[in-house]
Amino acid sequence: MSEVRLIERGQMGRVAYARIAPNEDLVGAVEKVCVAQGFRNAFVRGALGSLTDACLENADGSPQLIGGPAIEIVSLAGEVRTRPDGSARAALTGVVADTEGHLHGGPFVAGANPVCVTFEITLEEWLPSSEQG
Amino acid sequence: MQDTTGVPAGHPPFRTVIHPGPLDSVRIAAMSDTRGRHLRLTLPSGRSIHESMVRALMDEGVTSASMTLLDGDLETLVFCLAQPDPSGQRVAMYGQPHSERNARFIFGNATLGKAADGSPSVHCHAAFRTENGTVRGGHVLTDKTVVGRRSIAVVVTALDSFELRIGYDDETRMPLMRPRAYEANLKAAHV
Repeated sequence: MSEVRLIERGQMGRVAYARIAPNEDLVGAVEKVCVAQGFRNAFVRGALGSLTDACLENADGSPQLIGGPAIEIVSLAGEVRTRPDGSARAALTGVVADTEGHLHGGPFVAGANPVCVTFEITLEEWLPSSEQG
Repeated sequence: MQDTTGVPAGHPPFRTVIHPGPLDSVRIAAMSDTRGRHLRLTLPSGRSIHESMVRALMDEGVTSASMTLLDGDLETLVFCLAQPDPSGQRVAMYGQPHSERNARFIFGNATLGKAADGSPSVHCHAAFRTENGTVRGGHVLTDKTVVGRRSIAVVVTALDSFELRIGYDDETRMPLMRPRAYEANLKAAHV
């Protein structure tokens, strides 16, 4: 039986709100917000907006395409972590509504989810205890 | 209507849309605060989401916030979906509102900001289950959506040092929310 371990202790730091314009990639743009704001680690506090088409990863790793426009992001959860090489990596999962209002859910594929009209996101900085001065 | 021309095999397509207006050179508009202020609200039955949310947040001096809405009942739900604009004036626009009675609110996200005239405005997307059991989602018209028997809890991250303001966006020809410095701060910055 594997041991249950508490991986990180810490606290929330700064908070950022961003409006992302059409044709930006959802995952890439969230990473850019964190880099620009100097957030090494962050949690998504809230997000909503629309995608031209949505692309979610299936269980076998293949992409599931949901054609728009526009696909509404109903809810989004995720975090951004800075990797050892200094690059930011966003892992985002969510629920989207298609043009008929039917729901689809899963991880957003990086580089395949273009913003249609607008995307709003609030990110809260996560400060692990080891990184606090 | 998926145009995958030119996309390498196995790579998901990325379709670029061309909006009718001039391109805004700012693609990511972001502002930050040293700390988010957190509050929890309970939206009571018999009142609209907008009315209860705005009243409670105004009392706390909150005019801009990001919110997560939790499970509850909806006496009346009014929502709409984004669809291609049949007139071709815009890439996408909201279709006709749909109305449902006795839906279950599953969860949602909302942003509180100010309309161009300064009045409070709420942008909300949510998932819900209709009375016949169908699970759907979309853009919720919070001023017409009334909470039912089970109240809805809302976790709020208030933004105090800058505001969210809706302005007409020339590129998309839609009213959109953006972060903006308070005018007093703008004046101070230019002294």
